[in-house]
Amino acid sequence: MNCEEIEELGGAYALWALPEVTLREVEAHLTSCPNHSRIAGLRAVAFGMALAAPERDPPPTLKARLMESIQRGAAREAEGEHRDVSARRRMVWAPRPLAPYALAAALAVAVAGLLAWNLALQTSDDSGKSATIVRTLTNGGSAGGRVLLLAEQGLAVITVDGLAPLPAEKAYQVWAISKGEPTGIGLFNASESGEASAVLRADLSRVEAIAITIEPATGSPQPTTAPVLSAEI
Amino acid sequence: MELLYDRLAGRAFGLAYRILRDSHSAEDVVQEAFLCLWRDAHRLSSDRGSVTSLLMTMVHHKAVDLLRARRGRAADPLPLDTDGLAQQSTADVIEAVTNSLGRDAVRQALGSLPDEQRRPMLMAYFEGLTHVEIAEALGIPLGTVKSRLRLGLEKMRTALGFEPPA
Repeated sequence: MNCEEIEELGGAYALWALPEVTLREVEAHLTSCPNHSRIAGLRAVAFGMALAAPERDPPPTLKARLMESIQRGAAREAEGEHRDVSARRRMVWAPRPLAPYALAAALAVAVAGLLAWNLALQTSDDSGKSATIVRTLTNGGSAGGRVLLLAEQGLAVITVDGLAPLPAEKAYQVWAISKGEPTGIGLFNASESGEASAVLRADLSRVEAIAITIEPATGSPQPTTAPVLSAEI
Repeated sequence: MELLYDRLAGRAFGLAYRILRDSHSAEDVVQEAFLCLWRDAHRLSSDRGSVTSLLMTMVHHKAVDLLRARRGRAADPLPLDTDGLAQQSTADVIEAVTNSLGRDAVRQALGSLPDEQRRPMLMAYFEGLTHVEIAEALGIPLGTVKSRLRLGLEKMRTALGFEPPA
């Protein structure tokens, strides 16, 4: 299938309405082709369809049944750990194949949606005091991005593009700087296409700047390289 | 897990019931989805909050798989990317989005679509029909179904304020 055919199938794909063979073809294409960010967006919208179903209380017996299964599963896993953990797990929980693109990419695009949404909120908020801050991340070069701070929720949403994917032993580390002191708030890597997004939890009440540096994959206690991107808050 | 259940069971069961129209199967699907969630709990970073999107997606796909199996097709359940989802810290952004938008906005957006787009979307999402089956059921060309599904979603996106990335 070529890109045009994939795009035509985007709606059906997002709504999980493709026959299996076609689904696999589409996913194989999407995994290796960077041209379909719009489809990922449709996937996020399709997720919203789940909300259109009316809520309904399950019978109370279901909860009891579930909790019992969980306890049984936990007991079996604990028992299995004395023997061969991996084999045991496989017996209890069959491994499943992966389709890495589908939902992950939709989620990344949903970040863009949230940014747009929050921008809309921000401009409609006339009280002058907004808990939501959006800043542009720059380095004066080709890479760029946006950081959205939801101070009240303690969430930082970062979307970037133009960053080189790093080898496995390296990662991009995000720093929240307050009173000149950087605190590492999370790690991410960029995709082949140079895009990345991350949602990080942090205390953002007094943050003055956000910076991104390249560090070892496990992160550093303090930045050890110059920022590749940064934004004053 | 218990707290999670109390918070999400109504939504999950509502979705499964909407698709399967049968309380027993819906219970099975919800139970299975929660079990998957529990099994994956070590990979979900709980401090990042939301697992709603993962749970609801599992419920949807499992329910549709079951519906299709009932119709005598798709003996192999389709793969579901829980791994990708679990590792995406963006999962809780979906939660934020859906919480702020809310079900009313989704229903409104869906309701504002012309019937010729809404109908195939509902057939796909809630009745588990493939685009080929929708074309047959409605007696319209496959290409038309493809474009209506796509257009309907695009319109919903606009109505919900999800603008495509620049």
